[in-house]
Amino acid sequence: MIEVEAASKVYVTAAREIWAVRDISLSVGGGEFVSIVGPSGCGKSTLLNMIAGFEAPTAGEIRVAGARVAGQIPGGLGYIFQKDTVLPWYTVRQNIALGLRYRGRPASLINEKVGTLATLAGLEGFEELYPHELSGGMRRRLALVMTLACDPTILLLDEPFGALDTHTKTLLHMELLEIRRRTRQTIVLVTHDLGEAVTLSDRVIVLSRPPSRILMDQSIDFPEPRDVFSLRETEAYAHYYQAIWKVLGQEFRAAGMTR
Amino acid sequence: MAAIMEQTASELRRQVEGRQRVIRAERIQIIGWQVLILLVVIGFWEWATRVPWFVEHTIMDPFFVSRPSAIVARIYDWTLGTKRGYLWPHLASTLWATFLGLVVGVATGFAVGLILSQNRRLARILNPYVIALNSVPRIALVPLITMIFGLGVGSKVVTAWFMVFFLVFFNTFKGGQSIERELVDFCRTLGGTPRQITRTVRVPNALAWAFTALPNAVSFALIGVVISEFVGSTTGMGYLMITSLATLNSTDMFASVVVLSAVGVALVTLIRRAERRLLRWAPEFR
Repeated sequence: MIEVEAASKVYVTAAREIWAVRDISLSVGGGEFVSIVGPSGCGKSTLLNMIAGFEAPTAGEIRVAGARVAGQIPGGLGYIFQKDTVLPWYTVRQNIALGLRYRGRPASLINEKVGTLATLAGLEGFEELYPHELSGGMRRRLALVMTLACDPTILLLDEPFGALDTHTKTLLHMELLEIRRRTRQTIVLVTHDLGEAVTLSDRVIVLSRPPSRILMDQSIDFPEPRDVFSLRETEAYAHYYQAIWKVLGQEFRAAGMTR
Repeated sequence: MAAIMEQTASELRRQVEGRQRVIRAERIQIIGWQVLILLVVIGFWEWATRVPWFVEHTIMDPFFVSRPSAIVARIYDWTLGTKRGYLWPHLASTLWATFLGLVVGVATGFAVGLILSQNRRLARILNPYVIALNSVPRIALVPLITMIFGLGVGSKVVTAWFMVFFLVFFNTFKGGQSIERELVDFCRTLGGTPRQITRTVRVPNALAWAFTALPNAVSFALIGVVISEFVGSTTGMGYLMITSLATLNSTDMFASVVVLSAVGVALVTLIRRAERRLLRWAPEFR
């Protein structure tokens, strides 16, 4: 579904050049859930932005669903940012409808879909409110269903739960797994929370400090469906967590030293 | 047990109500003081201009400072009294020019601000000219504007426009630039074309910033029109003031000032209300 081939990204300013990503190759299969972890400031988000077509790789090539990504967002791709990206001047209803309006869908279909999605996001009865009247968790769910309204086959998530408290986070983990069980999107999640990565994904990829390379590619195998709460008590979870932390922890410490 | 709880509840109720009474009383007190200060100032003004010692030894000479009762009587004369309707053409002329200047200034300031904020290259090229134009003292240009556009409504509108344009322009420009890249990219993933994103993201964002400049823009437009009327015109509130200067009539002058201030306050209040309605989605207007 997603192929990254020897991709590199250099940011050039008048004074210097910064290598964010160097020679990364990876491939994500259809329906797979892959997490990318690494110290902050490594090229995690850059990699995700290149897959989304927001930024072009300096060298190498990226293909999504067989087609080369070249400065254009691949069709069927949804992206959730860490930052709040709901539109403050639109109500919850108008926000959910935005993607469908962009695509020129008929009003009757939009109304129907907005109703379903508001329910899915637990936003029934809040449709006429503005985003600033919602809680942080509700705004996250709103951004998620805004994306889901367009029926994406690929979801790229850039630290989407970073700013939330633990409880809200765990609830959203459950909801994400539930949505994915039903629709089988291909998901790439960038996170600095190893627990989150192990809990949710089929594969965890560890990136090094910049210029980032792949240090580890660990597949995660839990019996499905996963229970977000009890999973953390299992030996398998502890095993995966420790195995990855051995590599990741070293990177974190090294990244901390150079700062 | 139940009785104790009930007692505590009613005690709490009493305390809450007591506190609310204190808050209300405080508010009334403050308004009371404000009214008192106004009455003292006006009362002293009225009284001192009738006491020979004050008239001879201080500035409180009715020839220079008129007196409140005379000013009120003059405004009455101009509107409903002996010179019935005298005020209206002047007031209408000033308001009309203010309105036109405001509309043109806000529209052009918004449009140029939005375009430059979305076009970094153009903004960088034009930057020195914008700064140079903005640092020209506005008032210094009024005689020139009057020479070019004449004594009619044209000069007034151009002066008001010049006052308003940069205010709205800078606000819109800053707002347009402050838009987050993530918000635009997110909307692109939702399938938005550049044109759709301009309509649904860039314009509303810039509008919100332009709106915050509106109350000031109204005051600026009014100031611009009045200054232009000072310099050269045949109608308007500024014209009334300048002719009162020529005839050394302080009552006329104060009457004009009072009317103009009232109009200014009314306009700004109106705009603030409209702003609150239009920006009801923004947390700071809740």
